[in-house]
Amino acid sequence: MTADEGECKLLSDVIQERFGLSFAGVRRDILLSRLRPRLTALRLPTLLDYYHFLRCHPDREAEFERLSCQLTNNETYFFREPHHFAIIAQHVVAALGDTLRTRPLRVLSAGCSSGEEPYSLAIALQDAGLELRGIRWEIDACDLNRDRIARAREGVYEGGSLRACDEEAVRRHFESQNGGRYRLRERYRKSVRFFEANLATPGGMIGSPPYDVVLCRNLLIYFDDAGFDRTIRLFARALAPGGWLFLGHSESLIDRSDEFVPTWLEGAMIYRKRLAEAAA
Amino acid sequence: MSISTVAAADRLARLSTATGPAREALILAAFEDETASVREHAIRLATRYVEPQILGGLVADGVNAARRNGALAALERQGPYAVPYLAELLRSPDAELVMFALQILARVGDPKAAAGMLPLLRHGDPNVAQSAVEALGRLRSADAVPALLELLRGNLWLQLAAVTALGEIGDPAAAAPLLALVPDSFVAEQAVRSLQRLAAPESLDPLLSLLIRVHERPLRDAILEAVGVVLDLHPDPAAAAARFALESERDRGPEGVAAFLGELLRTFEAEAECLRELHGSAAAGAMVEREGLAQAAVAVILSGRVRSLYPLVLRRAGDSEAPWIEAQWHRHAQLGRPEIAALLSHRDPLVRRGILTAAVFESEDLANILARLEDPDTQVRAAACRALGRLGDGRAAPALIRQIREGTPEERAEAAAALGRLPIEALQELCLCLDPRAGDDTVVAALEAVRVAQASAFEADVLALARAPSAVIRLAALRAAAALPSTRAELALFRALGDRDECIQVEVLELLVERGGDRAGTTLTALLSAADSLRFRVIRALGRLRVAEAAPRLESLYREAALHERVEILRALAAIAPPGVADVLRTRLRSPEPEIRHVAASGLAEVAGPEDVPTLVAMAGDEDWAMRNEAARGLGRLGLPESRSTLLTLVRDVEPVVARTARGALAGLADGSGSAAA
Repeated sequence: MTADEGECKLLSDVIQERFGLSFAGVRRDILLSRLRPRLTALRLPTLLDYYHFLRCHPDREAEFERLSCQLTNNETYFFREPHHFAIIAQHVVAALGDTLRTRPLRVLSAGCSSGEEPYSLAIALQDAGLELRGIRWEIDACDLNRDRIARAREGVYEGGSLRACDEEAVRRHFESQNGGRYRLRERYRKSVRFFEANLATPGGMIGSPPYDVVLCRNLLIYFDDAGFDRTIRLFARALAPGGWLFLGHSESLIDRSDEFVPTWLEGAMIYRKRLAEAAA
Repeated sequence: MSISTVAAADRLARLSTATGPAREALILAAFEDETASVREHAIRLATRYVEPQILGGLVADGVNAARRNGALAALERQGPYAVPYLAELLRSPDAELVMFALQILARVGDPKAAAGMLPLLRHGDPNVAQSAVEALGRLRSADAVPALLELLRGNLWLQLAAVTALGEIGDPAAAAPLLALVPDSFVAEQAVRSLQRLAAPESLDPLLSLLIRVHERPLRDAILEAVGVVLDLHPDPAAAAARFALESERDRGPEGVAAFLGELLRTFEAEAECLRELHGSAAAGAMVEREGLAQAAVAVILSGRVRSLYPLVLRRAGDSEAPWIEAQWHRHAQLGRPEIAALLSHRDPLVRRGILTAAVFESEDLANILARLEDPDTQVRAAACRALGRLGDGRAAPALIRQIREGTPEERAEAAAALGRLPIEALQELCLCLDPRAGDDTVVAALEAVRVAQASAFEADVLALARAPSAVIRLAALRAAAALPSTRAELALFRALGDRDECIQVEVLELLVERGGDRAGTTLTALLSAADSLRFRVIRALGRLRVAEAAPRLESLYREAALHERVEILRALAAIAPPGVADVLRTRLRSPEPEIRHVAASGLAEVAGPEDVPTLVAMAGDEDWAMRNEAARGLGRLGLPESRSTLLTLVRDVEPVVARTARGALAGLADGSGSAAA
């Protein structure tokens, strides 16, 4: 695959326009390595051929679907950065107090991939005994890619997705299947609602706001400045006043948004949306 | 929306839309913006719209660092456009300004700037003198070498800078003075790095001698790496290596050179193993940094005949991460038959695999290699297949055919490749493997052998298999057919363009393009009538084959074709370049579809003649960066001096890709005028 600078920019512009993902500068090599399988599959020899395919070919929409999967194909697994789930089960639930007697805790997992993150949260909330205290929850989860959403709904995983689970957790939460695969038990699967969404789409809303918590971890690192700001504004609109935003450990809102207040909890930086009067 | 993000978006928009006299003030103020993306945009705009003299004024401002940094970045990006002004700055009484001018000129890389820098080597301010040394090194100015050699005896900082610059310039006259600084000077390690860059043949003997005498790491590592490079580029290192072999024999202690090299290789092997476990296939990239040292160690071991370490070297031969070991072995290792036989039956399978991979064998070695086909280790058996292929002795055919039928997938693939290198008359038994009853894997491997051997004797089998029910076998047969010269084979390929499997159609199209020939052009042109999903690939194939007879048909097809096909038609026409193609492309520059305009511009950049300069100049003012980029490319390809002023505008383009294309174009102008001064 040739890597002419102009061809790379044409492609990265298309990707940025479509998904809000930035592969400029040093990320160019990442982009090239992620595109390579698509060029091979389509038997297109150069990046320019692929660019023309994306712009002009009748099958371009289907190809964008496959490309989205390739571009954001970040490995994830159950109970990655589990302290976030503990913070939600303890601090967030405690802070919402009596309001959760009359309505469920509402969470959005944005960029949920094949479902490991929202399902981990569902398990953590169940394990925290919230049900016994009469607290209910609703977890919405979205991803750009249709295939990953389908896999998430199916709830079947390879052993690698369970690498942070001990034997007891695997036994309790999953049913073993043929071929070394595991199916998440029904009670967790039914507690998450999955839908397709492109966070880069300008304006609008996401899911069914308002949410108490938005989780969006290790996704914003791929966004350019404008895409990052746009997505944060989207989350601000989706969160209730005082709601919590959880980002990945290398993502930060410091000096980037006045709508959120950084808060240290259990050694993690969480961002709380300002209350309505404070923001006004 | 937050106040800060609104304001940043606003400021970006204001910067982008500003015009007239207010624009410059806005741009310069934005150098101090709190948001990085606004500052970056301001630098891009300053590169395009602010004159070097204004930017120079900001560089001279010792108080406002933000403006200074913005101005420095913009001046550097202006490149050739700013060179005349920067060259003038070298005569400024302000030492700091001179220093910045030197640094930018060095990064711009215009060699004509070197003359103005030479007097500054003796500047009273050591920072200026040091910047001049560094700049002249970066510009690889041969004229600076005598003065730089004098600086080797001066102030330590200047000495270090001069040592580095001499390495960058690469004049072999510096080799002896640099060697004099090793090992007993503060700049010894840097001197060795520079000697490595010089790679002067006369430095090999003294560097090998230093490798034995110097025991301190990291200086010894640096010497080894330098020796590796000098050995690699030396036309005849045998004499120096023989002296080293004798000298190193006398030094067998724990700090001796053999112990040092052995420890290094063991460490590399252990590190590679750890990285593979940690990162899997991504480990290869992580090893690159240390690979230079490993290569040097192997070169010294092999050329210096350190035989006790040969097994250690061979353990990595055959690793996809260390393909260079084979080349080193071929160049430096000289082994007798008994030594090769001993290594072939070494207890370590990695060594057996290594010698099979690296050694050059002769017919007398055949029995020993064939014996390795019975090796308990599959990698050794696969390496034995490869070795038999290199040997090319027909007597190996039955054993390799057996490997095709009974071996592991890796052995099958290696045996097929090896059979392809044997004399065709030795391959008769291969027909037994070309029977579909032999199983898909065996048939596919046998077809691969036929393809590599281009064995027409099996044509009937190949053509029959090209109609097999199995898609895998059909594809392998078609690949083999593409390697056969006959008309029947070509007809089989044409027929396969209508294969029920679309993947096979696409692959066959590729095979036909690689094969070339007039008939392919005629057949593909005829296929243009079928408006199916393959047609855009057929159009592209016609372009790649440059089928002149297809041009009128492509032009007439344009109106009825879908967008993706029209894109390919324009690309194909630009590649075929029939008479009048520039007119067609110029017309398409006015298309409402940006993709068509891009392809037309790209094609015009390829085929433009001097009469197209006005069109390219107009493209240089297009709002779309891709159009400006093609304008720069086209003007650069023509290389006409009258393009200079347009290219000097494009080197300051707000889009860095365009600026870089224009800079390359400017450097290649026919009058050799790379800068605005010309």
